[in-house]
Formats: sequence, C-alpha cells, structure tokens
Amino acid sequence: MSATTDTGDRVREFGAAVADGWTRERFGLLGAIGLILMAFGPSFQIYLFTDFLVVALFALGFNLLYGYTGLLSFGHGLFYAGGAYGIAVVLRDLTPVFADVVGAGVAPLVAFVVGGVVGLTLVVAVAVPVGWLSVRLEEIYFALITLAFGMLGYSLIIQDPAGLTNGTDGIIVLLGSVDLGGLSFRIGARRTYYVLTVAVVLAATYGTWRVVNSPFGTVCKAIRESPDRAAALGIDVRHHRWMTFIISAAIVGIAGVLRAGLASVASPGLTHWSTSAIAVIATVIGGATYFSGPIVGAFIFLYIRWAISRFPTLEAYWELFFGALLIGVVLYFKQGAVGGLLLARDRLLGDGADDAGGTEADSTDDSRSDDARTDRGDDS
Amino acid sequence: MSLSSLVPLIGVSDVVIGLSLGSRLFLIAVGLSLIFGVLGVLNFAHGGFYMLGAYVTLAFVTNVIDNFWLAAVVGALAVGVVGAVIEFAVIRPLYDRVDADLDQLIVTFGFVLIIHETVRFIWGSGSYSVEPPALFDFSVSLGGSSFGAYRLVVVGLAVAVLVGLWLFITQTYFGSLVRGTSSDREMASMLGVDVPRLYTGVFFLGSVLAGLGGALSSPLQSTSPALGDQVIIDAFIVVVIGGLGSMGGAFVGAMLIGMMQSLGPQFISAGSIAIPFLAMVIVLLFRPEGLFGGFGE
Amino acid sequence: MTTVLKTEDLRKQFGELTAVDGVSIEVDDSEITSIIGPNGAGKTTFYNLLTGVLQPTAGSIWLRSGDAAVVGDGDAAGGDGRAGGDGGLRDITDAEPHEVAQAGLSRSYQITNIFEGLTVRENVRVARISHEKTRLDFRSRATGDEALEADIEELLELTGLTDIADTKCDTLSHGEKRTVEIALALAIEPNVFLMDEPTAGMNPTEVTEIVSLIRELDADLDATFVVTEHNMDVVTDISDRIVVLAEGAILADGTPEDVLTDDRVTEAYLGSDSV
Repeated sequence: MSATTDTGDRVREFGAAVADGWTRERFGLLGAIGLILMAFGPSFQIYLFTDFLVVALFALGFNLLYGYTGLLSFGHGLFYAGGAYGIAVVLRDLTPVFADVVGAGVAPLVAFVVGGVVGLTLVVAVAVPVGWLSVRLEEIYFALITLAFGMLGYSLIIQDPAGLTNGTDGIIVLLGSVDLGGLSFRIGARRTYYVLTVAVVLAATYGTWRVVNSPFGTVCKAIRESPDRAAALGIDVRHHRWMTFIISAAIVGIAGVLRAGLASVASPGLTHWSTSAIAVIATVIGGATYFSGPIVGAFIFLYIRWAISRFPTLEAYWELFFGALLIGVVLYFKQGAVGGLLLARDRLLGDGADDAGGTEADSTDDSRSDDARTDRGDDS
Repeated sequence: MSLSSLVPLIGVSDVVIGLSLGSRLFLIAVGLSLIFGVLGVLNFAHGGFYMLGAYVTLAFVTNVIDNFWLAAVVGALAVGVVGAVIEFAVIRPLYDRVDADLDQLIVTFGFVLIIHETVRFIWGSGSYSVEPPALFDFSVSLGGSSFGAYRLVVVGLAVAVLVGLWLFITQTYFGSLVRGTSSDREMASMLGVDVPRLYTGVFFLGSVLAGLGGALSSPLQSTSPALGDQVIIDAFIVVVIGGLGSMGGAFVGAMLIGMMQSLGPQFISAGSIAIPFLAMVIVLLFRPEGLFGGFGE
Repeated sequence: MTTVLKTEDLRKQFGELTAVDGVSIEVDDSEITSIIGPNGAGKTTFYNLLTGVLQPTAGSIWLRSGDAAVVGDGDAAGGDGRAGGDGGLRDITDAEPHEVAQAGLSRSYQITNIFEGLTVRENVRVARISHEKTRLDFRSRATGDEALEADIEELLELTGLTDIADTKCDTLSHGEKRTVEIALALAIEPNVFLMDEPTAGMNPTEVTEIVSLIRELDADLDATFVVTEHNMDVVTDISDRIVVLAEGAILADGTPEDVLTDDRVTEAYLGSDSV
C-alpha cells in the first residue's frame, strides 16, 4: 500500500533528520519526550510546569501584538480574566443544566468544553470594540489606553454591578469528575489537567505559529518595522492592527480559561495591570522579536521564581531580581534569552550549526538604524 | 427626591476632603507630567518615587530629628537624587532608540519592582503613619462635621507648588531653557543648550516633586509597600485627563478626580471606581492632548 | 498621451504658513517629470499631499486608476473597471495613504524607509502580499504561493537584487537599501511612481548605477515616473520635463533646456543657499 510506504518514508526521513545534528526534528523529538516524561514527575513539578505552559501561552498571545506589530499593551489581563470568568460562570451556573441534558457522568466534561468556548467567545466579543478603539492610538498612548481598559474591567469585576462576578472573592472553579461507564477521572487532577493543558497549549501555539508565518503575519512584521512604509504599500495599518489585537486577545483568552481551571478560581486580580505586566516581563526577558521569546521568558520567569522561593531569606524578594533583569535586558541585550541562546549555539557549534532556531529569528529591534524613520516636514 | 433634599448630602467636610484628595493627587502627578512634557518619558516608577519620599520622611522623623518639614525636604531631595541617578544611568542611553518611548516605559517599570522590594526589605510589609506637624494637629469643625486641619494645609501646599513651579518655568533662565527644549529639542541643542544635562535636571526636579508629594501626603495616608502601585495608576489618570505635560492640567485633573472620589460614592454606588478609568479612555480617544491644553499651561 | 496624475489648485496651509500655494499640474504617462526647487519650496509637503499623508487645505488630486503591470502575467487587479470621474481619473483628494497606494500611486522615500529587520526578499514579499490582497489571509503559508514567489523573483531580477535577496536589510550598503526602496515601490505595480530624492546620500558610482536603473525601469515598465532630486546632473539626465517649485507655487514648467535657462529659476536657486 502506498500509504504505508509514505508513512514509512516519512518515519525514515524524520529519523534521518533526528540523527543529523541539532536539527529542528531532534529538538522536536526531545521536547515531546520531555513533555511525556513530565507527566510522570512529582505532583508539584507537574503543577509548576502546567503553570509555565499557561503563562507561556498568555505571553505568546500578548507578543503577537507587541513583537509583531509594535504595540505594547498593559491591559491584556482583561482578556486573561475574560477567559477565566467565562468558564467560571458557565461551570457555576450551568453544570446542573448539563447534568440534566447529557447525564451527570459527562456533564463536567461538557461544561468544561462549553465553558472554554464561552470564555473564548466572551473575550473576542470584548476585544472587537476594545481593540477597535485602542488601535487608534500608538506607542505610549496605546499602552495607557489598554491599561485604562484593563483597570476598567478590574473595577467592574470588583464592584460587580450585574451580580455576576462575585466581587473581590472571585468565582470558585470546580472542574468535577467525569464518569464514562468504565472510564472515570477528575478533570482537575494534576496529571489529567496537565495532559489537557499540553494539548490545548500545543494546538494554540501551532495556530499562532501559522498566523505568524502566514501572509497576515508577514504584513504584521512589516508594520512593526515601519508602519508608514507599510501604509504606502497599500496596507491598512489600523485595520491590520485591529485584527491582530483580536487574535492576540483570543489566544490570551484561551490561556485564561486554562488558568481558571489550574488555580480553581477566577479572581479579579487577573485583570489588574500587574497581571498584564507578567506578559511584558516574560516577553521582554525572552526576546520579543522571536516567536519562542515569550515561551522561554515564561519558563525563566516561573522557574527562577521557584528557585528563589527555595531560599526562605530571598523568597520575598524575587521581584527585585526580575526588575533588575528587565532593565539589563532592555539596556544591553534586547534580543533577550532566545537571542542569547542562538548566539551561544553559534559560538559553541560554529558555523556548521543547523539553522534550527533560525526560522524563528525575525530581527532585533535595536539593530534597526535610525534612518528607517521618516522625517516629514523638513521641507515645509 | 427634590433638589433640596440632595444638597445637605454634600457637607463642607466632603468638599474639603475632595480638595485635599485632589491636592494629594496633584502632588503625585505634577512631576510625572513635567517629566513627560519635557523628556517624553512616561515614568512608571513615579509612584515608587512618591512612596520612597514618604518612607524617607518617616525614617527621618523617627530616627533623626522629629521635625516634619525638615524631614519632608530631606525626603524630597533624597528622591531627587535617586531619580537623577536613574535618568543618567538607564534612561539616557535609550533616547536615540527607535522604540525609545516603550523601552523607557519598560525600564522604569523595572524600577517599580525594584523600589517596591527595596522598601519592603528596609521597612517591612507593615504600614506606617506619620503624625501631622504639631501646629496643625487639630480638628476643624465646619457645617456640622469635622476634619483634620492638615487637610487644609495640603491644599495650600499644592497651590503653592503649582504657583512656584509656574514662576520657575516662566520667570527663570532655567525655566526658559526647559520650555525651549520641550518644544524643540534639536533647535535647543543647536543653540547651545546642554540637552542631556537639562534632561537630568528636569528628571531631578520631577523626582523631587514626587518625593515632596509623598512626604507632604504622609500624614494623610498609610504608608506601605503597596502605596507606589496604587498611586501610579491615579497619577496616570490625572495626567491623561489634564493633558500629559501640562502642569495646570494636572492641577485641574487632580481636583476633578479628588472631588469625584469624595462625592461620587454618594450618588453612584455600583461602578463608581470605574468612572475615572472610563474618563481616561474617553479623553485618550477624543482629546489625547488632555482636557486642558499643552505644556506649561 | 494620457494624463495619469493631476492636481487642481492644490493648497496646504500650516497655520499662517502656506507650504503649497495653488499648484495645478498634469503629469503625462509618456514622460519622466522632475520636480525641483530650493529647500523649503514645498516639495515634501506636495508629495505628502499626493500620497495622502497630509490632507490639503483646498484643491483636488486625481489619479488614473488601475495597475500598470510590472511583473507576472499582467492580469493587473482592478484594471480600468474602477476608473471613473474625469476621463478615467479618480479623485484621491481625501484618500488615506493605503488607499492612495491601492489606487495605483506608489512612492519611495528621501530618507530610506524599508523594513530593515526583514530580508530583501521578505521586503518585496510584503509588498506583493499587499498587492495581491492576501494580507488578511492568516491560514496559508506566506511562502507557499508559487506564483507570488515567482513574481518576487522576477522583481528582484528586474531591480538587480537577486544576489542579496536573502540578506537582512539592516546589513546592506546605503546604495543597496536605496534600490530595495525602489523595488518595494514597484512591487505594488503603480501607475505613477513618485521618487523622493532617489540619489540621496549616494556616492558617484551608486548614482550612476541608480540612474541607469531608473532609465531601464522607465523603458521597461508602464509606470509613470515623477522624481524630486537635488542632483542637477541627474535631473537633466533623466527628465523629459522639469517643474520648478518655489515658495509653494510653480515657478517654471517645461523641457530641461527651457527651464534651466530661465532667469527666474536661476534667481530662485541663487537666492537661497542650497543646491
């Protein structure tokens, strides 16, 4: 059968690629093995890694806007919270309804899926008008208006005028147990939730990667480099940024859904600007101009915080470390951790190194020369 | 409900409290606005500077000399020095970058984290309060309610700062350099103004104002490591509504928000804390230069 | 002979200052028109009005719609179907920059404005994606469209950039960047191509190269070239027609011989300290 031969060829090809130095295939295979092994790790490590995956997706969504179109949002916590509250309200208010309709055994699973979809829909519904208004502004003003929108959401969730969000306490998220005849499991169990998170985060990351490498994403990069040049080529910069804003918010919304299940609560703090800032910190430290920057940054953020917390005398002061790291990266090495890793790889492996991470490298902001800026009105 | 039954709800003390809240907001925001107006830097750490001013005042009063006014001056100057050092060391290298605005915002955000933790390291997580200076440590009764006399003092001090700053900008040589540089940096540079030094000077001045604000407001608030994060958001609201870079705008914006905070809850209960943010969004969209015009006005 | 670009009594006021003062001009598709004038004559403002960066205080701007094929099979999107108004001319007075570009007017910049962080090929790809109107397609691979890649290849060849196609632009020489600038503007297949100081900052060798490129492109393509230029040798070399702007208004308009012997032009230039 030709299909079998095809599969066989592919496997052989993949095997050859894995054997052939530090290729993308080898990294992929090692990553997959790592993810599987992690599922058998100690409970706390599973939790920490799940936490990392969620924050990574949060930062990845944020960076679609910052790294790819040059807009720095200080209000993406709004969409993080939107996803979390969407699923929390569905689980709280509709689980009994699902139990009646589909039976108590699968109700928690159905509620989780519906809750996730509702959360995502809610986020998109908010992002459409918020994005449309926000992209009218640029630079500092964009940072300020997104911060204002985020804090507006925070105020409304806290004061809860509609009686939906349970004020400062937030909403408890109970994922429940699924019972499918012979198969029964608790969705919220560490290991189960880890597998679920890996699946969702991988899918969302792949989707984001496709967006970044699509014609749409190519135009985004051009807008980051020079918005007025892009406009002069017929690109409606504002509209494009709006669309990017919505996609970015949707990815962050998915991360928010996962966050609610992991933390077992949808809390107002998710909308606060200090939560939005986590995406900024992770992205900048990891390297905003690389697709994998926010992921690596989130890894550094969570694992260094964890490492610091192992020393009781230092535990309370992890923020100090990240403040200093943030300043150092912006001042001296804006390529961030991923840029550093690529540099180290080139040094260690020499020029013969395969271009594994190279496709992710887009550019470094500070290497753009100043004459990229246009100077209008020098003749008026 | 008739109008006459509404009026008694607004007591004189509510108005005084609103004015004093507004004065405090002005003291928080004015330095932020000055720095943005001249340097184009939005200093995220400004709230941290304000908090630092309050802490230094506190430490001075308790450990050195129990004189509030002297302590406030020391607090203001200490913060000014911190600000000047930060400007020189980490903000100055970024002016010529393509993304200068955002890089400076991120770097100053780094200092939000650093100042927060440093303060916690030195003074702990607890909250402190500072006694108002003995001369004003009494209550004033007016229209059936009472308030601390120091609230009136803060209103006076805010007006004094506004007038002093206005005279400084419009009447002194340094002020004229500041005005010139803020309207056209390159031209000022060509005319022989040492722009980098002027920038450090203005950042010093803005930081002094932040420290002074924290020091003078310390009797009206509880000072804890969370203070910086709280006030920076208020400062953003005030400078956006008043107009980034406008000192007079900061004053009017601060008074508006102060009155809103004092009187608002009596009229609207649900959603009242959302109103300043809503106002911020609306101003940014429809009048990004602020309600009250440009620099120095 | 067809008019491709026309302005009627175009005016731009900045407060008290009149930067462009009633400019009426018709550009014909059979000629290379140069717009010259001393510093402060209003050239940049005029360009910014044409390209929609600035809105005029008064007057109107008209452009012949549709694409002039540059590469590919010439199935220029739009064609003449959209043309309307004044004999195939379309009013673009109130259009935004991206609408002006879509209508068929492209520009290059005096101060190089390209996507520095991308490779030469990626730069051109952005422009082609914009032209093919696939810019909102977020499902396909950007590099997966074979026809598009072939067009990019053809354009790189046309502008002599094939050898450096996969180099990141921030590492290119000034002359190479200026050529990318031209490739970008051409990639959207404009009817009219406004070149703002194409030789700005170039050394003599580079100037010679770019001038021969412009001549070649003008001969090969349907696009109509309008050029501003400081280098008078270049101007006399490439222009069929020269328009002189001074203090925001047209001072002289004609063939290079006529214009350069015009006393008023000499005076306008010698009166200022430029050239």
